[in-house]
Amino acid sequence: MMKFLLFIFIVSLSNAAEPISPIPLENNADIKKAQLGKELFFDTLLSKDNSTACVSCHDVYTGGADSRVVSEGFANTKGNIQAPTVFNAKYNFKQFWNGRANNLKEQANGPMNNPAEHNMNPKLVEERVNALKAYKEKFKVAYGVSNIPYDLVLDAIVEFENALTTPNAKFDKFLRNEVELSKEEKEGYIIFKQAGCIICHNGVNIGGNSFQKMGTFLEYESNNSYPDRAEITKKEENKNVFKVPTLRNITLTAPYFHDGSAKTLEKAIEIMSKYNLGQKFSDEDVKKIVLFLGILKGETPEILEKL
Amino acid sequence: MKLHRLIYFILAIGIISSAILIYFYIIQRDFTKNHREFLISINKLENANAGLTYLILENSLYVYHNQDEISQNAKELENEYNNLVNSNILKNKNYKSVSEGLFNLKKELLFDLENIEEYLMTNAGIKNSLVFLTRHVENATSLNQEDKEIFLKANQILKHFHDAIKMQDLDYIDGLDILIHSNSQSSKTQEFINVFNLHANYLLKKYPPFINITKQVLKNDTHLSIKRISNNFSKLALNDFQALDIFASVIFTIFILSLLTIVLLFMKYQRENKKLLKTKESLEYSNTYDMLTGLFNRKVLEDDLSKSDFPHILVVNIDGFKHYNDIYGNNVGNILLKDLAKFLKLLLRVTNIPKCKVYRLGADEFGILFEDIDKKIAFDIGIELEKNIADHLFSIEKLRLNLTVSIASNCITPILENADLALKLIKKEQRSHVIEYKESLNLKRSVQENMETLELIKNAIADDRIIPFFQPIINLKTLKIEKYEALVRLQLLNGTFLSPFKFLDISKKTPYYYEITKIMIAKTIKVAEKFPKYRFSINISMVDILDDEITDILYESLKSHPLVCSRIDIELLEVEHLADIERVQEFIQTLHKFGSKVLIDDFGSGYSNFSYFSDLDIDIVKIDGSIVSEITTNERKLHMLKSMHQFSHGMGMECVAEFVETKESALLLRDIGVEYAQGYYFSQPLQMPLESDEVTI
Repeated sequence: MMKFLLFIFIVSLSNAAEPISPIPLENNADIKKAQLGKELFFDTLLSKDNSTACVSCHDVYTGGADSRVVSEGFANTKGNIQAPTVFNAKYNFKQFWNGRANNLKEQANGPMNNPAEHNMNPKLVEERVNALKAYKEKFKVAYGVSNIPYDLVLDAIVEFENALTTPNAKFDKFLRNEVELSKEEKEGYIIFKQAGCIICHNGVNIGGNSFQKMGTFLEYESNNSYPDRAEITKKEENKNVFKVPTLRNITLTAPYFHDGSAKTLEKAIEIMSKYNLGQKFSDEDVKKIVLFLGILKGETPEILEKL
Repeated sequence: MKLHRLIYFILAIGIISSAILIYFYIIQRDFTKNHREFLISINKLENANAGLTYLILENSLYVYHNQDEISQNAKELENEYNNLVNSNILKNKNYKSVSEGLFNLKKELLFDLENIEEYLMTNAGIKNSLVFLTRHVENATSLNQEDKEIFLKANQILKHFHDAIKMQDLDYIDGLDILIHSNSQSSKTQEFINVFNLHANYLLKKYPPFINITKQVLKNDTHLSIKRISNNFSKLALNDFQALDIFASVIFTIFILSLLTIVLLFMKYQRENKKLLKTKESLEYSNTYDMLTGLFNRKVLEDDLSKSDFPHILVVNIDGFKHYNDIYGNNVGNILLKDLAKFLKLLLRVTNIPKCKVYRLGADEFGILFEDIDKKIAFDIGIELEKNIADHLFSIEKLRLNLTVSIASNCITPILENADLALKLIKKEQRSHVIEYKESLNLKRSVQENMETLELIKNAIADDRIIPFFQPIINLKTLKIEKYEALVRLQLLNGTFLSPFKFLDISKKTPYYYEITKIMIAKTIKVAEKFPKYRFSINISMVDILDDEITDILYESLKSHPLVCSRIDIELLEVEHLADIERVQEFIQTLHKFGSKVLIDDFGSGYSNFSYFSDLDIDIVKIDGSIVSEITTNERKLHMLKSMHQFSHGMGMECVAEFVETKESALLLRDIGVEYAQGYYFSQPLQMPLESDEVTI
């Protein structure tokens, strides 16, 4: 066994690629279901007081996230955490900041039933959706059902979210050897690697594939108590542990961190380098890193361009 | 068990076993599918687990590492675990231990996954600082020139950190002073030292938990637990597979057996069917055809007759066929019948006769049915057939046999009955071989009469109305009555008497004949006892001699009357054909012992045969009345009588002339020298012999 592993290890060592992989160009989401999901995603009918839709906090026409520090939901109730982006969410290994959902469906179910967000329940969702002839017809076409169950409502929303990928970022094209980076962008990437950012921010989502402590180097203090990993694992050492967020489209998703404490990228880089890297970047390096982060912006998902 | 019930039973077994077979197939298919799915899942689980270990190893070696694969592997591990727990096969109680194993495995897996999370977190910080420190030292080029000692120390410490992580051994940093101290006034140097020490401290703090967690992650025994579950499952599944195998064999055997039984039954059924068909065919054949000759049988004739508008039949009967069977055996008899059947058909074909059908009606009787044929033509055909058959030599093996047949022709209903009656007439009268039935034959009436006569005989015997009459026989020399011939009479209820030719022939072949003979013997003996001066003669046919019952009656009667027996004579009536001459000789000898005499009756009529006299010890000859009654008018008859008398005389026999009806005749007879005479001239038969024996001419 170990010999075999060693062999694979040597082979993969020689093929060692960049630790970041581009977003696949193909998106195989079911377009009918995704379109239906899109309508639901935009529909305030899915909140008890008809005030809130998914899109209220996940603004897909900017970065798929909330520009407010914390989101506001049902009856203007304030949430307890900064809403992360829905773009490329399907590439996250777990959902929510503390990873309490294993997949998008589990995730979608959360805010729907959260009294501070949509404040709905499955029965109410079904009642409302089934009351609308347009939905019934579309579900009939997409799923072949005459009565819409709650699960399929979630399924349609998830399918829409699956369609929300942002391929063809300049950096992805660079990884595919399609374009050259500018000198500064390239230097930014090298700093990103050499400073150790890439140790957590890697993979297709440049993050979103592991948990990490906010303040692994220096203890990070926060005024509020946010739902962190410790809430799930009940372990003291998981305090302030969150899912490493994606850096894709990061220029569009301010404010940053779970607490939305960094209004700008420069601030975010400063906080990260201090608390998690134990370093201090020069202004020039910060600028280069920001430039690098800028080329992580991908194309607007195709489904958003169609109405 | 009856065949059809057996068939239903076997059929039921067949259907049930087929159903079980199908049920078994479904069970087996599901089981195999679930079994395979479980094995695939557990394999995937094993691979995901091994993959995780590999990826962690990779991650620990690479500074830069794409962690997507780790998270994907972890996800797959969880998915496969869920697949296994929800596997259909585990719903079976037999696999409880597997479920328990999986339940325990969950703890291990969760522990592993948590460890991996922790490892990744710790690893990230350590990697960060190591990467950072490496770059930090590399970048301190100025320090290399200004404070070489610090630079070397930093490099050395860095090497220790690297070694410790490579060897996974804390001893490389344990107890070492891994912090840099310097009194250098250079702010740059101080900053270098501060930053270096900050990270060195961080690493120093994080190394022990990191090495610990790395070891835990890499040294996990989860794959052993998975292997154990897999082995346990395979062992249990093997039992199930074996049980399924046995079950399959049993069911399959039952299925094959019932199939075989069905096939066997079917074959048996076919065989019996064939047999039945054959029987049916032969039955149908025998319904239509005569088995021996292949001709149509009597039943077909009856059917044909009922359908025919103008039927005409020829009934052909073989004369004395019984003799052929008796002499040559039944085989020859049968062959003869077959040959005759063939010959008949041949004759009917070659002689250009209108359409006809040939039937076998009975033992030796054939029928030829014509439709709407002229009576005369049919009769001529009969004559032609009779002649041809008589001329034909039937050769059977080495035998050459002649046959004669009698043929009755008839077209008057009832066809068959009338033809039979006509045939009987031929046999009786023996005049011709072919006869045409006519109403005038009155054969039918005679049958009626026969029946009435038999009734008459029966009643007469019961009422003792069978009575002997006695006709005197006169010695022509002494003119004295010497003997009486006993003649049977049947007294009717009105007191009149019936002559024997009206009833005696009819009584033959019935038990009445014996009765009558018995009565005659007994009554004659009684009369003889009363009249000791006379002899008495009783009539017996030569055929009767062959009948033991008749001879026994006679012998017994004679024996029991020793005083009378020597005066009782027997008149033998000639028959056409005497088969057993020895029996007659024996009879005559026995009678002679009693003192009886034997007469030949009606000599000179019918079949008179001189050869008797050479073989038989005859005492007296009775010359037939047809000769005696005409001796006075017919020279030839007179001559015949004289010759007969002369012949008898020469042979030492006496003569009795019957039917002496005139004085002339009586005188002539006395002149010729005939010893005895009898007839109406002297006396008609009397109810009692006369007291006086005196007679005059």
